[in-house]
Amino acid sequence: MASLVPCPNCGRRPKEEFTIKGAALSRPAPGADAADWFNYVYLRDNPRGTYEEYWHHTSGCRRWLVLTRHTLTHEVAACRDAADGSQLEGGA
Amino acid sequence: MSEFRPILRPVLGTKQTVSSATLKLSPLPEGTIIHVLARPGEEDIVPFLGSLAKAAQHAVRPVSPGHWFIVGEEPMPHQEVKSLFAALEPRATGVDQSHGRVRIRIEGKMASRALSKGTGLDLDPSAFPVGQSAVTLIGHIAAHITRVGSEAFEIIVLRGFAETLWDDLARMSLEFC
Ligand SMILES: [Zn+2]
Repeated sequence: MASLVPCPNCGRRPKEEFTIKGAALSRPAPGADAADWFNYVYLRDNPRGTYEEYWHHTSGCRRWLVLTRHTLTHEVAACRDAADGSQLEGGA
Repeated sequence: MSEFRPILRPVLGTKQTVSSATLKLSPLPEGTIIHVLARPGEEDIVPFLGSLAKAAQHAVRPVSPGHWFIVGEEPMPHQEVKSLFAALEPRATGVDQSHGRVRIRIEGKMASRALSKGTGLDLDPSAFPVGQSAVTLIGHIAAHITRVGSEAFEIIVLRGFAETLWDDLARMSLEFC
């Protein structure tokens, strides 16, 4: 269970300190089709396996994080500050 | 201008000090708390903040990436606050939180045991040495904890939550008093 979240700024903290926002998806370009925006805003894959989601360390550093979590085992493979580094994997 | 002058009343002024041989809970003076927010990209700002804080009277406490508290026992005169804010710019911005946040001290052999009832933070001295700060939950209340001595912690909490947090801490300390 992802009850301890490895925040890159704060270390391992209980999940109660966090707010979960949901799937971390790449935002479409402002001028993208309505269908792309509909997809981005409303449609989710609900994968069984590893995916990336936004967590906010609300009662800690108050940074947005991108957590790589396995939806079946809840194992956390990685956790990084959303402002850092690589592009999101999940396309819209 | 209003005829009524706001009266500053220490929020924990009426609380009874919780004290025993192994644990002591005490409100700290409502002096100065300045929240410093660094501009993005300002990397090595800590020595700069240290040079602005008066060494003998103020301490600089890390809060989170790009955020610090400058704390002091004495209230900072308005002019001094203004010149501090001016000196921080453009690298950082200061916000006076002296009336917005309250400091509580918990110390003694059992202080970390009592605190551990409320927070998931690892308070072992190897993981949380003297001088280290962290923002965490104590029960349901977000608070900033600094280890200020081997057996002493300073807690900074929003003023509106200070009384509730104090009562919680007092209850958590009961078995050691
Ligand atoms: Zn954090």
